[in-house]
Amino acid sequence: MLVQFYNVSKVYKNGVKALNDISLKIDRGEFIFLMGSSGAGKSTLIKMLFREEVPTRGQIFIASRSIVRMKRSEVPQLRRNMGVVFQDFKLLENKTVAENIAFAMKVVGCKTRDIPPRTTEVIQMVGLKGKENSFPGQLSGGEQQRIGIARAIANRPLLLIADEPSGNLDMDTAREIMELLYDINRKGTTVVMATHARELVKNARKRIITLEAGQILSDQNSLES
Amino acid sequence: MMNIKNVAYFFREAFTSLTRNRLLSIATVSTMVICVLLLGIAVLMTINAGSFINRLESDIEIIVFLDNSMTSTQIVDMKTTIEKQDGVKSVVFVSREQALQNLQKKFADKNYDLGKTVGKNPLPDSYEVKAKNPQNVGALAEQIKKMPGVYKVNYGQGLVERLFQVTKWVRIISIGFIVVLALGAVFLIATTIRLAIFARRKEIYLMKLIGATDWFVRWPFFIEGILLGSVGALISILLLSVGYGSLLNNMQTALFFIPLVNKPNLLFNVYLSLLGTGVLLGALGTYISLNRFLDV
Repeated sequence: MLVQFYNVSKVYKNGVKALNDISLKIDRGEFIFLMGSSGAGKSTLIKMLFREEVPTRGQIFIASRSIVRMKRSEVPQLRRNMGVVFQDFKLLENKTVAENIAFAMKVVGCKTRDIPPRTTEVIQMVGLKGKENSFPGQLSGGEQQRIGIARAIANRPLLLIADEPSGNLDMDTAREIMELLYDINRKGTTVVMATHARELVKNARKRIITLEAGQILSDQNSLES
Repeated sequence: MMNIKNVAYFFREAFTSLTRNRLLSIATVSTMVICVLLLGIAVLMTINAGSFINRLESDIEIIVFLDNSMTSTQIVDMKTTIEKQDGVKSVVFVSREQALQNLQKKFADKNYDLGKTVGKNPLPDSYEVKAKNPQNVGALAEQIKKMPGVYKVNYGQGLVERLFQVTKWVRIISIGFIVVLALGAVFLIATTIRLAIFARRKEIYLMKLIGATDWFVRWPFFIEGILLGSVGALISILLLSVGYGSLLNNMQTALFFIPLVNKPNLLFNVYLSLLGTGVLLGALGTYISLNRFLDV
């Protein structure tokens, strides 16, 4: 079991109740869609996975470690086992494609000599070969998100978290990005993806968790519906 | 805390950021120059005021006029008695003849013979007593006054007390001024550095989400802050030393009665501590501004 939520509730300081008594489990190797309208609690749940937020009540275990009791100094180690893909890519505009990826490896303390081969490898995996020295601003949205994904998997994470990764992309590009994520999942990485694009999820044959008003509305395989 | 293999990376990042955000770097250095310059001026003023006050205070002495009926043995005995008093620094005998001569000197005109005019010397023998701590002259004078054979005691009663009131407040105000200035400098520099950090908050957020430790994010900013701090401090030290140097040259001729402190060792230490202050301000400003952004 990779992720376990036990009766997790979150109330923000401004009084907003984001999550209400959520319990769920995620196995290693799963691919999960997290659905729900905005304000349903998707972002809060995602942020708890990499411990940007901690629950007000309840307990969360990731790889058998409680993130609630975790010390501040232990958080970097937790995050090094995860890759995060953002809706707005969050690329460093003044660094090239290769540098963006190398930066992520440098940050977590990779050996300098291990960085270039791994960078080449992930750039090939996401299909950006030949664009290593381009700057993000010179590439299309889909290509930029591929950099984001390459960066997220560079450190071989156990868990890949994607927060609306296709939110800023057209449908065709979004499908290409989905294929890439499925591919990564097939190679063994657990993927949690938040989205509200039903078209992408419909025929995916994956587990779908739907949130509404901070609670789990449904948790089922897409074929059952 | 600092991983050796990352040192080169930290310095490279710091220098890249310095040149990339050139305008903010210039703004920070300028702020630093103004802050350290003001601090330096305040420190130099305090030092000079202090030395002036010390000089004034060390001039304070008790003049003990002796009864004319005292024999010379009694006069000598008296000296030992005064010297035995607590807090006495020195006792100097001034004979009545000496006193008359001193007076003559004060009436600068050498052709004028004071002795002849007054006829018999009306001045008594006296002791000039200096206290170890000038603040105690009042109490000391009271004690001496009670001794037999003392005709009168004079230490500028009233005036001395007022002088100490003034000097006490000059000291308090100048130290308070420096403290306020230093706090203002920290705030001002923290604000300027915050602008530089704010421009890079997304990068910091990203680094933290990828799994960077706080110190990995901090070091380049720290190096940057310390560099900006020392450059700013060096510029203001240069301005200050040139300015003070020319002040020394001009003051000594034009305003000789205000003695400026001119001890190379002391000035060097002042400049050195200003450099240290610049480094500290840079580091402290960065620390204060950065922590908010690290809380991810």
